[in-house]
Formats: sequence, structure tokens, C-alpha cells
Amino acid sequence: MNYLFTHLPQVGIYTLQHLALVGTSLIIALVIALPLGVYAARQRRVGRPLLGVLGAIYTIPSLALLAVLVRYNGLGFWTPVIVLVAYAQFVLVRNIAQGLLGVDPAQLDAARGLGLSSAQRFWRIEVPLALPVMLGGVRVATVSMIAIATLAAYASAGGLGTFIFEGLSRQYPAETLAGSIPAAILAIAVDALFRGIERAVTV
Amino acid sequence: MTFTRRTAIASLGATLLLPACAGRGGGANAVAVGSKNFTEALVIGEIYAQSLEAHGFTVRRRLNLGSVQICMAALQHGDIDLYPEYTGTGLIDVLHHAPMQDPAAIYRTVKSEYKKRFNATWLDPSPMNDSQGIVATQAVARRYGLKTLSQLATAAPQLRLAAIAEFLGRQDGLPGLQRVYGGFHFKDVKTYDAGLKYDALLHGDADVAQAFTTDGQIGANNLVLLEDDKHLWPPYNVAPVVRLDALKAHPQIATVLNGIAPMITDVAARSMNYAVDHGKQDPATVAAQFLKEHALH
Amino acid sequence: MSDPASAGAPVRFESVTVRYPNADRNAVDDVSFAIPAGSFTVFLGPSGCGKSTLLRTVNRLVVPRNGTVFVDDADVAGIAPERLRRGIGYVIQAVGLFGHMTVAANVAVVPELVGWDRQRVSARVDELLALVSLDPARYRNRYPRELSGGEQQRVGVARAIAAQPPVLLMDEPFGAVDAIVRSALQDETRRIARSLKTTILFVTHDVDEALRLADRIVVLREGRLVQYDTPLAILSAPATEYVERLLDTHDVVRRLTLLRARDAMRTQTGTTSGSIDAGASLRESLNAFLQGAENLAVTDDGATIGVLAFDDIRRALHP
Repeated sequence: MNYLFTHLPQVGIYTLQHLALVGTSLIIALVIALPLGVYAARQRRVGRPLLGVLGAIYTIPSLALLAVLVRYNGLGFWTPVIVLVAYAQFVLVRNIAQGLLGVDPAQLDAARGLGLSSAQRFWRIEVPLALPVMLGGVRVATVSMIAIATLAAYASAGGLGTFIFEGLSRQYPAETLAGSIPAAILAIAVDALFRGIERAVTV
Repeated sequence: MTFTRRTAIASLGATLLLPACAGRGGGANAVAVGSKNFTEALVIGEIYAQSLEAHGFTVRRRLNLGSVQICMAALQHGDIDLYPEYTGTGLIDVLHHAPMQDPAAIYRTVKSEYKKRFNATWLDPSPMNDSQGIVATQAVARRYGLKTLSQLATAAPQLRLAAIAEFLGRQDGLPGLQRVYGGFHFKDVKTYDAGLKYDALLHGDADVAQAFTTDGQIGANNLVLLEDDKHLWPPYNVAPVVRLDALKAHPQIATVLNGIAPMITDVAARSMNYAVDHGKQDPATVAAQFLKEHALH
Repeated sequence: MSDPASAGAPVRFESVTVRYPNADRNAVDDVSFAIPAGSFTVFLGPSGCGKSTLLRTVNRLVVPRNGTVFVDDADVAGIAPERLRRGIGYVIQAVGLFGHMTVAANVAVVPELVGWDRQRVSARVDELLALVSLDPARYRNRYPRELSGGEQQRVGVARAIAAQPPVLLMDEPFGAVDAIVRSALQDETRRIARSLKTTILFVTHDVDEALRLADRIVVLREGRLVQYDTPLAILSAPATEYVERLLDTHDVVRRLTLLRARDAMRTQTGTTSGSIDAGASLRESLNAFLQGAENLAVTDDGATIGVLAFDDIRRALHP
């Protein structure tokens, strides 16, 4: 614990780097996952194999994926971002599709019959009704991104993993804790935040 | 403390600037030095970096890389110009070559293969050999008359082994010992975290422990490293792997790093590893101390 | 559509045929008939007879393979679906209230879509909730999940008629509520229909419900129109054996219960000794005669609309 407090400025920097990695990845991941999730829900024949592929990506060991990407994209910030975006796709796309497929068909039929256009049905009816399930996906994806982002340290991209892996290799638990405690706090805080939002939007 | 804080602030600044200067290299005399992320790699990476700096290079450190695959990927992508690697690792993990025993032959093989496949080369290897091994306390070694692994193979049923988990499954771990030496059926095998297996050994919870031959605890606790008399484990001499393009641009890299290669011995490596792992010293500090002692600064 | 107090619009089907992909027969097969403005028309038949499909061609939720549907004498195929639907109320069995919106927001959906200002929408919401017998102050801000099945469907009806559509489609709207609630909802539907003058197209497989509500009944079988007439005419002269069986037209007691005073009365005036509501069954009317009445004044909302005599009942039962 002492190490954590004597290195507070560095802890702060690594935490900010960590947040930058996760935040950037989350935004990019959502931009990709939203259309994919909608598509998977609309075209179930495509959705199933798509989720299969994303699930397969999800099972690639992240370190191996990171190494492959460094070869083409180099070290630094963006390579771990690509890894995080790739890993998040499975959970995000799955939950976005599940959320949309879980919308009560009667409400959609009513919306159509009342004269809402397809865009109005999507934004005013489907998205709000699917939101709790979608947000559940965002929560799980973000928490796991916080964990996986520690790997950024392996590719010279900083973050709290720097403390963790340095501490592990130097067999210096205090240093490992200086990375893992803030990461855990971050994960718990993000989890609580999203749970709160989920509750607020659940009907 | 002041030093730690200063390095913390410096690296703080550096990490903040990282995205800004994400391009490769820097000035005319800029070299990017990488290393893997364990103690010995970090220290040797620092030794390379600081000796290059002492000769007027501007060094960009990309230490702490996660695996040999990431180091090679970064080298091929041009993010790093050089990094310390073990000849055995290059042979087996990178080239997927069958294990070999002769250090000179291994070095020749990796050097020519790296040139062909990766447009990279190996500078002069150091005498330091970070291979695997089995260690025993002086007392246990005396009681069971242990000097070699052949002797241990027969004595094993009376003894308890402490090892990291992957040692039990890997072909160059316990199964390899059983294949090459026969025997090696320990009374008990317990797995430990890398750091804790020495505690187990010193507290008498185990009689022998799997080790890496430059582990700091070997020298610090005067442990006996048993001789691999049937040569299960290939040599793991350390040497800089350098991109040929970088070497062409800065031929002086070879002069500088070949100059310090002979100083990096098993004994030096063990004491530096110990200073970092147990003395809680910074790898950079330990490397600076090493270079000062060897009058290279 | 523009005049809020507008009367209903006529609806006309011309050779309408619908076939679903992969089906081996037409869901609706060459159906033609015309529904006068402001009438209450029930589509009756067993499940699979095509009644819902036919209903859904009116607001283009189903597109016919052949034929034309006219609303207010305009081919619906020529009207943008969203615009068309905003002018046609739609109530379904599953109700489909939007779960994330309050009762008021649900009712306000279509008025807001067609651009009513906030005040007018708010006033209309209260007016409608009162119309469907829900106290606006209590129900306005509730969520659908806080309502009973019957209350939900009342809101569903309010939502459908919010923007004063000239045509209202109701697809088995009371199929999912229990018998007592259904009966109350039927009474209210009749009352609302009278006050709105909207053309109502109502789908059911429940013969009692059809006879209770309909001005006219369309009997469908396997996608074809079998008979289209008033309840009395259908009961009196079933077109086919199928209609006879479906409505059980031979059972005199049953017919007494199903037919209403309205169906058997003569629209004339005369001396009367007592009065009866237009919606009362002939069984109730017969009861009045048995207790000594001679001629009954038939009243609707307090106004006398005709006269019913004992002979009229006999005529209705044995045409």
C-alpha cells in the first residue's frame, strides 16, 4: 500500500492512460457494434454466424492478438485500442441484438400501425426498450476492457498494467497492488455507474 | 526517494508525450531500445540504453514489452531498433528450431536465420547464460551428495520439488528431465509463484527447486546449481538483436554493445537481479551502477 | 382528417387478394365489399379465415397481391404508409402500449406525430382518458405495467382514436381480458362508437361479441367473403350452412339473447306502454311483454328511435 501512496503521481498518470485507452476503445467499439448489432437482430441468418465469428475473436488469447497487431500497427496507444475494440464486439453486438430481439412484438406492431416511420420506431420505441439489455452489454464490455487494458503495458502503451506486470516480474507485490487496486476500483466504479444507469432506464 | 520521484515525473512526462511523438526515431543519432518485461531483461535493456547514451546516442526506451512475440513484432515494424534476447529463445521460440547444445552453433544459426527472415542480426553474445536449472540448499546437496542432475534423477523419490506451474507440463520442464535422465519421480511436487519457490526451499518446505540460472536468489543464498550433465537445456546466452537497417545507419551501435557484452556474466546478472527484486532498486539505477563499476562511463 | 369532428370515412375492398410467402392458399381471396361511413362492421370467422389479414390491408400493414382498398374513396396504395396510418386508429389484442412511456405519452403519440401543439395534446389526453372511463388525474402519469389488462386496453383505445381518425381498426381487442371486463369494454366501445361517428372495423371470432356490437357483419371463411349483412339478416337468412353453424341460427333462445331491440324494431312512432334500451336483447324485451307491456318505445341515449311490438320479435325469430 505504501508504494501506491509514494507513487501517487505515477498512479494518477497510469490511471488516466488506462481511462483514455478504455474510453477511446469503448467509443470506437460502440460505433462499430451498434450497426452490427442492429444488423444481427434484423438479419438473423447473418447474425448467428456473425456472433460466431465475434465469439471466436473473443477466445483468441489477448497477448497473442496483441503481438500480431504490433507487427502491423506498431507499439503504442492504438494497438491495444484495436485489441480492446475487437474483444468488446462480441458482448456488445450480442447484447444489442438481444435487446432489440427482446422488444415486445406487440409494441412494434402498434408503433407501425400508429404510423411511426421505421426510424421513429427504432429511436423512440426499440432503442429505449432495448436499452437496459444493451447497457448491460456495455457494462460487461467496459469492465472487461478495464481488465484487458492492463495488457497495453505489454505494448508500451502505459496504463495500470505497467505497475502490475513490472511488480509481477520483479516479485514486488506492493507495485503490483499499486496497479491492480486502482484498476479494481475503476472496474467496480464503472460497474456501479452502469448498473445505476440501467436501473434508471429499466421500465 | 528523490531519485524515484524524479524518474517518476520524468517518465510521467515521457508517457504524456508518447502519443505526440509517436513516429519512429527522433534525431540523427536516435535509437529505440526495447526489452521484455522481466527484471533481467529490463536491467540489460537499461545497460544497452545507458551505454549508447554514454556514446552520444539519443535513446528512446520501449522497455517492458510483454513477450518475445511482441518484441519481434515491434522490431519488424520498426518501433524498436534493438533489444536483448536469449539465443535459446531465438532458436526455439522464434525460429521453432529443435534444441541444440553447442552455444556457438546456436549463435551461428540464429544469426544467419534472423538475417534471412527478419532483416536483423545478433551482436556479440555475453557469457551470461540464463538457462533453466535445479537448485538445492547447501545442506540438502551435502546430505544427498548432489552435484549433477543425473544424481538428482536417482535421489528424486526421497525429495520434494518446488517449481512454477508451467515447469510440470513443458517439454523442457519435468517431462524433459524424465525423458533425458530417466527417473525424476519426486516424492512430492508443489507449484509456487516464481518468487515463492525460493521461500519454500529456504523454509524447508521443499528440498530442491526449479530455477533460472541467473536468479538473484542463487547467489544471495549460496544455493547449489546442479550441473545439466546430459544437456537437456540449451544455452540461453544474452545478446542484442538489432535491425540491420538501424545498424547500417549507426554502425557504432555494434562497437558500443560488443564492448560491454563480455562484462555481462552469470555472477553479474545474479547480483543485478537480486538488487532489483530484493533490494527494490530501480533497473535503471542498477544498470548505471553496473556500468560505473565496469568503468564504461 | 383535418376536421376534428369529422364523421367517419367509407372503406371499400375491391377484389382484394392476399397471399403470404410460402403459403399454399390465399389468406384473403378476391374479397369485395363496401363499408359505409360511420358504421360499425365486424369481421367474423374462425382463426385462419383471413379476417385479421383483411383488416390489416386497410392501413397497409399487409399489402394485397391483387385488388384495391379504398379509404375515403382514395386508393390506400397511393398514400404514404405513415401518413395513411396516422389517420387510421389501430387497436390490437396484445394492446402494445409502449412500456417506457406513461399513459399520457402513449395516448399522445399520434397527435404529436401529426404536429398538434402541446396544450391541445394535453387537453386531448385528458378528454380521451375520461372518454374511456379512466380518471385523468389518476392515470395520466402511470406506466402500462401498473395497469390491469382492461385498463391497458382502454388506454389502447384512447391512443388509437387520439387524433380523431375517420377509421378505427380493432383486431380482437378484447380477446385477452376476462369475460366480465370484456362485457364492460364492449358496452363502452358501443357507447364510444356512437359518440365518435368513426367508421369502425372490428375483428373477432366471438359470435356473441359480433352480434352485440355490429351494425353489419362480414362472415369470412378460408379467405373468402361468405356473407355481409346486418346481424338480423344474417341470423334470419344465413347464406350457407357454414354461417348457420357458425352463428347457430336455429337456436331460438340463443337468438333471443343475441338479437337486440334495435335489430327487430320498426322506425316509426306509436302508442307505447314502456320503453327499452336499443341495446337490450330480445330476451329482455320478451320479458317486458310477458309482464304486460304492449308496445315498447326503443330508446338510444334517451331519445326514442323506434317501436317494438311482440310481433316484431316473432318476425325476427321466424322470418
